[in-house]
Amino acid sequence: MQDIFLGLREDFKTVFWPKQYFAWQTLLLLSLFSLVVAALLESINGETTRPVDLLTSLSWIFFTLAVWWALAETKPIKVWDFSLSPWITGIVLCLFLFRPWTDTRFRLAFSCWPLISTGIKALPHFVNWELKWTLPKPAIQKMLISVTLVNLLLTSWIVFYFRVQDWVSNYPTLLARSLDNSAFVYDIGQDRERRSSQGVPLLENMAEAIALEIEGQPWYQAERWLYTRQERLESIAQKAFDNLDASEEQLFWRVNIQEPREFGEGYLLDMKATWAGPIQAQTGLYTTKTCKIVPTSEPRDVPTRENEPPPTTQITSVDCGERATDQWEIPAI
Amino acid sequence: MEYEPILPLRAIVFQILFLIVAVAIEAGILRQRLRLGFQTSVQYAAVTNLAAVVVGWIAFLVIEPLATANIKQQIINYILFNQLLPDGWSTQLGAVLLATGLVAFFATFFIKAKGLEYFLRSDDGWKQLAVKKPRKLTRDERYSRARGGFMEARQSTGPDFTDTVIQANAASSTAILLLILLRTVLEAWAV
Repeated sequence: MQDIFLGLREDFKTVFWPKQYFAWQTLLLLSLFSLVVAALLESINGETTRPVDLLTSLSWIFFTLAVWWALAETKPIKVWDFSLSPWITGIVLCLFLFRPWTDTRFRLAFSCWPLISTGIKALPHFVNWELKWTLPKPAIQKMLISVTLVNLLLTSWIVFYFRVQDWVSNYPTLLARSLDNSAFVYDIGQDRERRSSQGVPLLENMAEAIALEIEGQPWYQAERWLYTRQERLESIAQKAFDNLDASEEQLFWRVNIQEPREFGEGYLLDMKATWAGPIQAQTGLYTTKTCKIVPTSEPRDVPTRENEPPPTTQITSVDCGERATDQWEIPAI
Repeated sequence: MEYEPILPLRAIVFQILFLIVAVAIEAGILRQRLRLGFQTSVQYAAVTNLAAVVVGWIAFLVIEPLATANIKQQIINYILFNQLLPDGWSTQLGAVLLATGLVAFFATFFIKAKGLEYFLRSDDGWKQLAVKKPRKLTRDERYSRARGGFMEARQSTGPDFTDTVIQANAASSTAILLLILLRTVLEAWAV
């Protein structure tokens, strides 16, 4: 057991301990050293100061250079004689340059990664060991042009990926049906449970707002409200749109409210939200909800004589039933 | 932000397939008409097509956020649900589609011509091509031209560079269009 550990230690030493000063291991140690000093400084001061920033940056730079040098010396990963080392160094450099811990920075870092890697690959062909600027030979120039173009294509694919992500997050109802027909994207998680469209929360919001406005009001108020409903409903719909998780979907929803139907003494108010946005062929998506608006009698709070029923007043009650569901013109799969 | 596991894998596969088809066709035409070597013509065709594809992507990625809501809806419909013009043709959309196609054709032609010219110049193939063009007429030919003034004599002065590129571009575009059409037909047939 001890032998194994000893052997490991020996291996570790041969790989990571420099045999001469001018080696990539030196840079790695420098990077570690700056990091340790930075950590010490920060623990002493208790806050991030400029020297700490400087030291961490230096540590990153040493680390990037060490990775670059190590990969250039060993060339471990190759695809058909084509070394992938610049792309690995590119990852490290992107981590250093962009610090991609937030979403926008992550996008920027990921999109720029192929181009930065191309730059790392091209740099030694433009600058020689005496740090003099030279133009590479025509054959190398051509190779570099091809590599740049391929990496621009990679960048385009990455940006396109983020664009599609933007679409489905701005318009989540797009994912209510499968993307199987697409010639561009493949949905790896297509077996996941389909979320309901945003038409459901839209109508729920509206029903809630309607109830809030007329529930408990005297019946004549509700009748007046129903008579002049157009204006109120428009503002209610607008507010419901604004309260959606992805309010940009407003563009693609058509809300239609029918003339109230008579129902006993009260009325039925039918609401329908239809998806007018992009959706699978020959499919229609809509959600409906019906609110029952009826008068109920409640005893009035006035003093009455004995043996006489108390006078009542007509109060509005609103009942919008259960939660709405998505409905399809052809059944959902 | 949460990311959905939706990857543009199909776009990548089709892109590579179409690139291979275009390079094969264009390399064949370049080899035949410009008398370039096998490897050279494949190389030129590959690089010029890559350049055209990259410019196309950049144009799409720049234009898409600037497009009107209607056009954007059509783009999403096509990309996510493979529906071109689901509400049928309208004059505006038809015009946009036609203009896009025309611009795409001539822009790719321009890129390919300029790219090819650059590569030929850097490989000294341009001069040979230029020398080849005003081929010296033989005595008999000059004689017959002077007598009859036939136009055929001028047309037979070897393949023109621009002509070749436009022919190659047209051939590869047609092939790709046919492949897309084939996919649509197969899909309709499968359903």
